[in-house]
Amino acid sequence: MEYRSSVITSKYLRSRKIPSTACSGCGLGLNHKIVVQAISELGLDVADVVWGTSIGCAGRQTFATWKGDGFAGTHGRVYAISRGLRVALPPEKKIILTVGDGDAFGIGLLHLIHAARSNADMTVIVNDNLGYQSTGGQYGWTTPQGSHTDSSPYGMFEHNLMSDEMDVLDILKGAGATFLARHVAMDGQRAVETVKKAILNRGFSLIHMPYPCPTNFASRELGSRNQVNIYRWIQERAAPLGEEKENTVWATGIWHDASNSRPEFSEYVHETVEKIRRTGSI
Amino acid sequence: MKRFLETGNFAITEGAILAGCRFFAGYPITPATELAEAMSLRLPQVGGIYLQAEDECAAMHMCVGAALGGMKAMTATSGPGFILYADPYGWALGCETPMVVLNSGRVGPVSGITGAPGQGEFYLMRYPTQGGNFETICLAPNTAQECMAMTVEAFYLSERFRMPVSVLADQLITDGFEDISVPENEDEMKEMGFRTWPREICRGPEFYPASDALDVPPVVLGHNTGALCSDWTPTEEGYDIEEVEAHHKHAYRLIYKVRNNRDLFSHHYEKKYMGDDPDLVVVSYGSPSRVVNTAVEKARSQGLKVGSLRLINIWPFPDEHFDRQCKYLCVELNWDGQLVREVQRAAPKGSGVHFMGTCGDLPTTPDLIETFEKLLKNEPIRRKGWVLEEW
Ligand code: SF4
Repeated sequence: MEYRSSVITSKYLRSRKIPSTACSGCGLGLNHKIVVQAISELGLDVADVVWGTSIGCAGRQTFATWKGDGFAGTHGRVYAISRGLRVALPPEKKIILTVGDGDAFGIGLLHLIHAARSNADMTVIVNDNLGYQSTGGQYGWTTPQGSHTDSSPYGMFEHNLMSDEMDVLDILKGAGATFLARHVAMDGQRAVETVKKAILNRGFSLIHMPYPCPTNFASRELGSRNQVNIYRWIQERAAPLGEEKENTVWATGIWHDASNSRPEFSEYVHETVEKIRRTGSI
Repeated sequence: MKRFLETGNFAITEGAILAGCRFFAGYPITPATELAEAMSLRLPQVGGIYLQAEDECAAMHMCVGAALGGMKAMTATSGPGFILYADPYGWALGCETPMVVLNSGRVGPVSGITGAPGQGEFYLMRYPTQGGNFETICLAPNTAQECMAMTVEAFYLSERFRMPVSVLADQLITDGFEDISVPENEDEMKEMGFRTWPREICRGPEFYPASDALDVPPVVLGHNTGALCSDWTPTEEGYDIEEVEAHHKHAYRLIYKVRNNRDLFSHHYEKKYMGDDPDLVVVSYGSPSRVVNTAVEKARSQGLKVGSLRLINIWPFPDEHFDRQCKYLCVELNWDGQLVREVQRAAPKGSGVHFMGTCGDLPTTPDLIETFEKLLKNEPIRRKGWVLEEW
């Protein structure tokens, strides 16, 4: 079978990693495509971006796909790693992180909050497959309430970061993130436009992007691995912000845009250090 | 050369700056807090960056991130913080990223006693992370001045071996005030016995495939060389792979790049009366070794045939010093006995290997001499009511 790569793919991605090792029908590729499309529409070059990932489905499938420099960090720590990397890299280099929901909202939440607090320039794409799917399918911190997973066989009943009027994006807004948005994988060009804005923000940007996992999530919750079913299931539960319906779980669009409203972490640090070096005080 | 009456923490800071360190991330913890404070004061003066992290795990990850961006980085903590390094330490070993880690030991377990010296992390320095399949390098100075030199040395070794290198001190060494001389230029550094090398140009922008050869620049991100590094078993180009053969290559490199080049650091030790036919060799490192050295001098003047072996390079463990068939006494700042296990392993079969532990305070010279005498007379040694004859 021959895989033809599009112009964008051959410009930005490593052919060695295409196709990815994701399960057939996995929605992660949609998210990945949205991000690369946004980079391309912004006219960025391979050299302009350092691409970081973590572990799990999102980490494993997107690591080393970017033609330029890339890293995969330890689980949940890429937000700390990226703060160190941020001060070492020139300010014009973009750091784009494709991570999973368990990584960002579970094990890495502390570091994520501090990355938002410091307004370090990075664009975090949280690819939410509604739980821990690479370990076989356990519930995560944004898994819709009631969902059946391998670790919630009776339905997920804990309070989580997307239940009871709670929203993880509110936490990050409170922490100081300057750009926050949510899209589902099928949002297409709407999501691309949002990712472009996120990348252009000189500061901490995060986009929460639920995507369909037909293999582990859908097989437990819907009793079917047919990708059409899980794609529909997600789409029915998503609606643009302001047009939410009774059953809307994911209100999509830009949640908070305070782009370039406060100093970016590394630039601020470098400026301050330079001032101390010259004058001995701030 | 400038002289100061200052702490070990001060000396380590100056050593790091001499070595070219321009990034420090840390988290306050007694007794390493003053090091973070000294860094926050000194680094901006030389154009360096100090960042306070949300925890030690983040601190070391930030350092690895900065090192991957081409900066020389360091972090410091004490035992309870060191265990939070387990995660980034492994990543730095796997990605072969140079940086320096300082651990100032206090009394454990857990938070224990914060303001007293301890040596409970002897083995933790060897196995700071999970998974095995790696070697670690650890240096254990016993004075503030030596802390400075060993910090410089740790940077040198970390760059040559492409790995994190640790310095193990303890509360007395990092908090204690001592006479410290700081060299002001390259010539003074050389005169004073510091390691010197082209310290600012050791980080290459090119991405080199992994290799067990030394002096291969580490992975540096941001130069668009297609550099890759990850937490997974890598192929030679840095791609993640689930394959035993690739894993063997990777693990072999992590182990043998150190084992095959031990001569770069195995000269870090101090011996007293070891050539004078000792019947008892006293083995120690860190602050107890200062009392041990005094006690051994005194015991010799009283005609006791003792010698002192002070280890500075503690990992990989220098087995070569233990070729003598005689009695050994390990003096440590813990009560469970850690160094002694390694000496038991390394010493020739049939050598009597003994242990004397204190915790939170140093052994005294009279206590030590009494113990030497008893061991030389084959009498059981007792301490605080415990029989510790053959450990
Ligand atoms: S387990 Fe689910 S999320 Fe992971 S690769 Fe397979 S389909 Fe995609």
